[in-house]
Amino acid sequence: MLFIPSVERDGRTAIDQSHWVRAALELFGETFGGATAYPKAQGVWRDDEREGVLVFDEPVVVHCYLTPEAIENEGNLQQLASFCRRMGREANQGEIGLVIADEYFAIRDYTEPTP
Amino acid sequence: MKLKLNLDKIAKGLGAERRGEVHAGSGHFGAMQLVAEVQARFRTPAGGGRSTDPSLSEKRLVSLAPRTLQRLEHLAGVMSEQGVTVGPLQIAALLLERAVSDADEATVGNLTRQRTG
Repeated sequence: MLFIPSVERDGRTAIDQSHWVRAALELFGETFGGATAYPKAQGVWRDDEREGVLVFDEPVVVHCYLTPEAIENEGNLQQLASFCRRMGREANQGEIGLVIADEYFAIRDYTEPTP
Repeated sequence: MKLKLNLDKIAKGLGAERRGEVHAGSGHFGAMQLVAEVQARFRTPAGGGRSTDPSLSEKRLVSLAPRTLQRLEHLAGVMSEQGVTVGPLQIAALLLERAVSDADEATVGNLTRQRTG
């Protein structure tokens, strides 16, 4: 499950959410075989690096059913990570959130690894 | 059977921090699917008014238990919070459609016998 935000880290500047939803669906479709984006929800994220300020937004949740083999595949993980880093950078996010199985993963370092 | 994934390997592959176990409430994705279906099927008429689905053209009188109606009203409230204006009986029509398409004769037979004694 990937959370597509609606605003930047400042909580005010809108991002092109439909672009990122479409891009996420393309990624999940190509890499994992399919996904579903659910309608906007009400969301909040606590920015612990900025004195716990609450960032309110309307995220779209993209849900994907996948096999253990698919999510543990190195190539697939790199594709997913690269997408999350790009969204984090270009949409000015504090972190990108993913839920895999029952674990929450936070991607905060958007630096592309050196080849 | 709980899925066994190598979460540390996944975290490393993603360049992510593991933040711990989370759990969605029961029926979580069922509720999200219902919201998605309502948004897709019920469109506000051009002249305004309540959202409608033109494929739901047949009207019949159906008896409901008070708790069922309360539950439908609660669900309509949840839809409203998601920005979708839809009535409790419109939600009932969607759920009925889904239940009927999934129903098999044996289950229906059992339910009917339970109700009529």
